[in-house]
Amino acid sequence: MKSVSVVIPVKDGERYLEELLAALAREGNDETLVIDSGSRDRSREIARAAGVELLEIAPEEFAHGRTRNLAAERTTGELICFLTQDATPCPGWLDAYREAFTLDERVGAAYGPHLPRPDTSPMIARELTEFFAGFQANTATANGDGARRPVIQRAGDPSFLSNVNACYARACWEEIRFRDVAYSEDQAFGADLLAAGWAKVYHPGAAVLHAHDYSAIEFMRRYFDEYRGLRETTGHIEPFSVPATAQQVLREVTADQRWMTQHGISGATRARWTARALTHHTGRRVFSAAGSRSERLPSPLRRRLSLEGRAAAGADAGAAATTGGGGGVSPLPPATHIEKKLSGEVYDVAAQVWRDGPAPLLDPLPGMAERERLRLAMVIPPFSRGSGGHNTLFQIFSRLERRGHTCSVWLADYQGYSRDVWPAVLRHDINEFFAPFQGPVYKGFDQWQGADVAIATGWQTVHGTLQLDQCRARAYIVNDHEPEFYAASAEQALAADTYRHDMHCIAASPWLRDLLIERYDSSAEAFQLGVDHDTYRPRPVVREPNTVIYYARYVTPRRAVPIGLMALAELKRRRPDVRIVLFGTGEMLHASFPYEHVDVLSPEQLSWLYSQATVGLCLSLTNFSLMPKEMLACGLPCVELAGISAESIFGADGPLELAQLDPNRIADAMERLLIDQEHWQQRSDRGIEFVASHTWDHATDEVEAGLRHALREREEAATTIR
Amino acid sequence: MSAAETSSEHSLESENELLRSRVAALEAELVKVQARTNTAVGQWQERAYWLDRWHLDLNALMRKPGAAELRAAVRAVRTVTRAFRRAKRSLSRS
Repeated sequence: MKSVSVVIPVKDGERYLEELLAALAREGNDETLVIDSGSRDRSREIARAAGVELLEIAPEEFAHGRTRNLAAERTTGELICFLTQDATPCPGWLDAYREAFTLDERVGAAYGPHLPRPDTSPMIARELTEFFAGFQANTATANGDGARRPVIQRAGDPSFLSNVNACYARACWEEIRFRDVAYSEDQAFGADLLAAGWAKVYHPGAAVLHAHDYSAIEFMRRYFDEYRGLRETTGHIEPFSVPATAQQVLREVTADQRWMTQHGISGATRARWTARALTHHTGRRVFSAAGSRSERLPSPLRRRLSLEGRAAAGADAGAAATTGGGGGVSPLPPATHIEKKLSGEVYDVAAQVWRDGPAPLLDPLPGMAERERLRLAMVIPPFSRGSGGHNTLFQIFSRLERRGHTCSVWLADYQGYSRDVWPAVLRHDINEFFAPFQGPVYKGFDQWQGADVAIATGWQTVHGTLQLDQCRARAYIVNDHEPEFYAASAEQALAADTYRHDMHCIAASPWLRDLLIERYDSSAEAFQLGVDHDTYRPRPVVREPNTVIYYARYVTPRRAVPIGLMALAELKRRRPDVRIVLFGTGEMLHASFPYEHVDVLSPEQLSWLYSQATVGLCLSLTNFSLMPKEMLACGLPCVELAGISAESIFGADGPLELAQLDPNRIADAMERLLIDQEHWQQRSDRGIEFVASHTWDHATDEVEAGLRHALREREEAATTIR
Repeated sequence: MSAAETSSEHSLESENELLRSRVAALEAELVKVQARTNTAVGQWQERAYWLDRWHLDLNALMRKPGAAELRAAVRAVRTVTRAFRRAKRSLSRS
């Protein structure tokens, strides 16, 4: 018969220790070692009174793996059993372990079930019972005798092992040893044991009475420790999502109630335990997930969440994972495993186009450019309410649809900004935010069905559009020179790349068209942004004197807001009576002058603001925007930057008051409009007259001509080749 | 150019013309079909707005365990209720 040593690590374990040692005396093991790590209760006295060997270590020396290795070294039995201080062996426990090691010569470890104590909470009692019953699920026989049969587990079987109640063959322990980890050393041993070709045995007869008697909060902190240990030893990351957690908690609570019914618990006790079960299971899910991601938490928080008060981020564990126990401690923190993302970034799509080239276009058909009804597919980037570029696109696309073209919209959302928005909602938002659209809206290109012209509309959409097949032509509606939106960066390079793929560009100003032709050698033509004259018109309201309104959209760097604020400060210094109103931003900006803030306004509200003010200020460092035109349509003279894009539309001395990029020159321009009434009137009249012909219908004519041009280019190219 | 060659050229030309008109007809048909598809999908999206807004996929929902049974139960209750109402109505008439 093999000799058996029993090791019990103890700290403040007086509650069950006496009972445990008495049970061991009954079972008749050969040697018992209690390792105490700083108990402040009667634990040591109890151990001494029972006549067992007592080893005392400092609390800071304790670690689950290290201390058990030490204990194993200090004992002599051929079998080494480990119990926790609250696990009391049931009758037959030792015989069951002895039997387990006779089942196969490669049995390196054995473990038995943890039975609930009479006062164990229903959820823990149920969980223990169901958990250990699971190990025997496949061994029960028709006559029911399987319930007491031991089960041998080998490589490929569950690696579960618990030092609450386990027994090891000394030869196996000497070969594998416990990893020097702060937690879950038993789980790690189970995995290492199977990997090394040993077997383990679950023996239902080797049972202990065991339950953790924690409060709800203590339970949560214990789960935090447990899953943190699992992460450190096996790399397990507990999945977490709110719906799944809710479902799981509901399932567990229902099972607890069923268990309570079976065990005759009812009335107020049952209600109390149900509430506790709800807290317990919810806390368990949350704290387990947090524990397995603990490296992301700050150290003080980790310490507070840990029942053991452990803050360190598992450098010891990282070492153990690489050395298999007993080796040196690596200074490397554990690496974080990152799951594959659901969709590729726009960079992936660009890389694919660079690698494979664009999808081939369909052969051109004679006369396709002149066909009355075209199939148009517009690819758009994600949007939100108030997006100016999308407003332009949908003002035009809505009109193209009304002209009888077959139109569809495709959202290219490579970065997942609209991940949670489903297609019907996107379609609804387009109708609500921009313009009426009757056609379908798709997310991604799974249902792509081809088009006469596939239209890219922003740099993020171009590479995706180039991958679309079954197209006769591709075109690119260019709202702005987007590389200028970025500092030197991958985005800047990718945005510039979009103009070099032989797509016919339809640019939102002559300046932009010329830039595309000169800098990128693109095929390009221009369209003029339209104005909604039903909304933007002089309103029947008296203009307030000395009022300057400024489109201070600080989050858009190309709006040069710091320059605008300096210019307004200068104007205020010269004319203290001037009233300044900032709009177009939710943020209240810090300025060196007092001003009024009116937030982001609807088009209707804007038209009234433009009709009441004296001077508008709107700066753009790239392509000219719609806003100055809308101000002019309301009879409001507007100051813009000279030397960029405005002259290409309005001329050097048109309806706009142009100024160089200099706060003093901009202040001069505003002051002139404020002082010189005749000049103001002249600008106002010319502005209304100028933008009268700038309509969305006209813009749609120009864009439609551009789309047909893209088709015609294909026809001509085919003719040339022939 | 011989008469035979001229005749063969005419025949090729007319065949080309025929093929072109066939392609044009097919293209026109494609535009019509796609227009119908777009209209149908657009109308369906109009109707599905609240389902999409609430992220409700009814097919996935009905695949869940118990969903078919629940539906059958509701139908059974509805059948009984209707039968009861019918009986009540006929009794009140008589």
